[in-house]
Amino acid sequence: MTAAHVATYQLQHSYGDRTVLGGVDLLAQGGLVALLGANGAGKTTLLRCLATVLTPSAGSITIDGLSPAHESEQIEIRRRLGYLPQSCGFSPRARTFDAVDHVAVLKGHRDDRTRRHLVYDALTKVGLDDRANEPTGNLSAGMNQRLGLAQAIIGEPTLLLLDEPAAGLDPDERQRMRRVLSERRHAATTIVSTHLTDEAADADVIWVLHNSRIVFADSPNRLADLAAGRTWIQSEPPPIDVRASWTLADGTHRCLGVPPPGAALTPPRLEDGYLLLTDSANV
Amino acid sequence: MSYSPPPPAPQPAAPIDPARLARNWRAVTVELDAPTATRTERLLRRIGLPSHVTRLMAATPALRRSWYVSIAVMLLIGLGPLDTADPRASAFLMLLLTPLVPVVGVGLAYGSPSDPTYEVHLATPMSGLRLVLIRALAVMAVATPVIMFVTLLSRVMRPWAAAWFLPAIAVSAVSLALMTFTSPRRATGSVAIAWIAINLIARWATDDVLAAFVPVAQGIAAAVALIAAVVIAARRSTFDRLALS
Repeated sequence: MTAAHVATYQLQHSYGDRTVLGGVDLLAQGGLVALLGANGAGKTTLLRCLATVLTPSAGSITIDGLSPAHESEQIEIRRRLGYLPQSCGFSPRARTFDAVDHVAVLKGHRDDRTRRHLVYDALTKVGLDDRANEPTGNLSAGMNQRLGLAQAIIGEPTLLLLDEPAAGLDPDERQRMRRVLSERRHAATTIVSTHLTDEAADADVIWVLHNSRIVFADSPNRLADLAAGRTWIQSEPPPIDVRASWTLADGTHRCLGVPPPGAALTPPRLEDGYLLLTDSANV
Repeated sequence: MSYSPPPPAPQPAAPIDPARLARNWRAVTVELDAPTATRTERLLRRIGLPSHVTRLMAATPALRRSWYVSIAVMLLIGLGPLDTADPRASAFLMLLLTPLVPVVGVGLAYGSPSDPTYEVHLATPMSGLRLVLIRALAVMAVATPVIMFVTLLSRVMRPWAAAWFLPAIAVSAVSLALMTFTSPRRATGSVAIAWIAINLIARWATDDVLAAFVPVAQGIAAAVALIAAVVIAARRSTFDRLALS
């Protein structure tokens, strides 16, 4: 199976009067896509629509040419899907193995022996195979996230949707998560939502969701390049009209905005590009 | 000195395929390390249910809570004092509450507040309606024998031992049908209140404490269950989407 082809056209969703998605057009096939946006920007709503668990108010979604609006096609999409929602939890008394095995049953794997192997494969990939017999209540927060990831990747899905999978994880756990995702880069289209720019740096493509719309869809380098020539370091406190500034450890100030003549320009970072992009989108 | 034959010449070692060896070793360790089924699951398998179905039941802690609650409620009602001088009045409380046991069980076992993996379930190919029906049947399968046992045990209750069954089916079906419009807990709560109100109104209007269980009422219950089943079938796709909270 090849990585899933994902497309949305004028996707809209509202909760009462509040519009969360206001006409989102997207296209992706293969690789790692980071869905970047502020808290409450609509990332979870977009992922829920793509995961076929939420019906959008308007617009269309196709995954490998299949539409979730049709019941039979929705089931076929779900066969290809691995989903880790933001509010993923487990019963603390359930064993690690059982938590993944349960999802394997729901994904249609009926044969006991095949399922056992699939479960152990998934647990091995996320480094939890030695915890298979333990209750999930004994696992750390990071391990719980990895367990959710094991549920998502079981059965080798061609579309992986992960809603803030690294939220609250320590650097070691993030690195483990990153390794698992990078291993699946060519086998699946992986869409990971995050509000942290450093997590998006490893992606092949970044989608920036801002003001209910996708305002950027390109590589991390291109996002950082938006701030080229607009980040500088100065020793004096910056004027108030810069976009952002903060004091560095050596007492100098890193500034973002329109540099004064002769400013000591510094290479832009992803975050700089994101801040300038969302700032200009607000205007 | 006796003659001993020379030892056989060593055979050339068979080529070892490390990948195959690793695969085989992995297959052995998976079989050895896989956890055994829980007590509940083993019991369900002994009844004859296939393992993938027992896994769906046993992996839902909320379902187990529903079982315990239904058994506790029934035992509490069954062991309560009965007035042998007025058996119909005694039967009223029992018949009023028994149809609610399965419906409360279903309400407790489905939806986001009680099931932490609810959203993960929704994104799988398993039909949401099938899942909720399996859980509803699981609650009914446990509640029914307990209710029957408790009612048959009491001489006062014995004549009405089966009178709760059709109303229970109707109440459960209406509750499931309402779940296609609102959250499971709201649907369950509304149906429970409506059921109690119907009983009180029927009792007041006919001067018969068991008016909601007479043959005509049983026929109405069957018809209501049928209509609810049609609504459930027509709106089954809502079980595959996030429930309103």
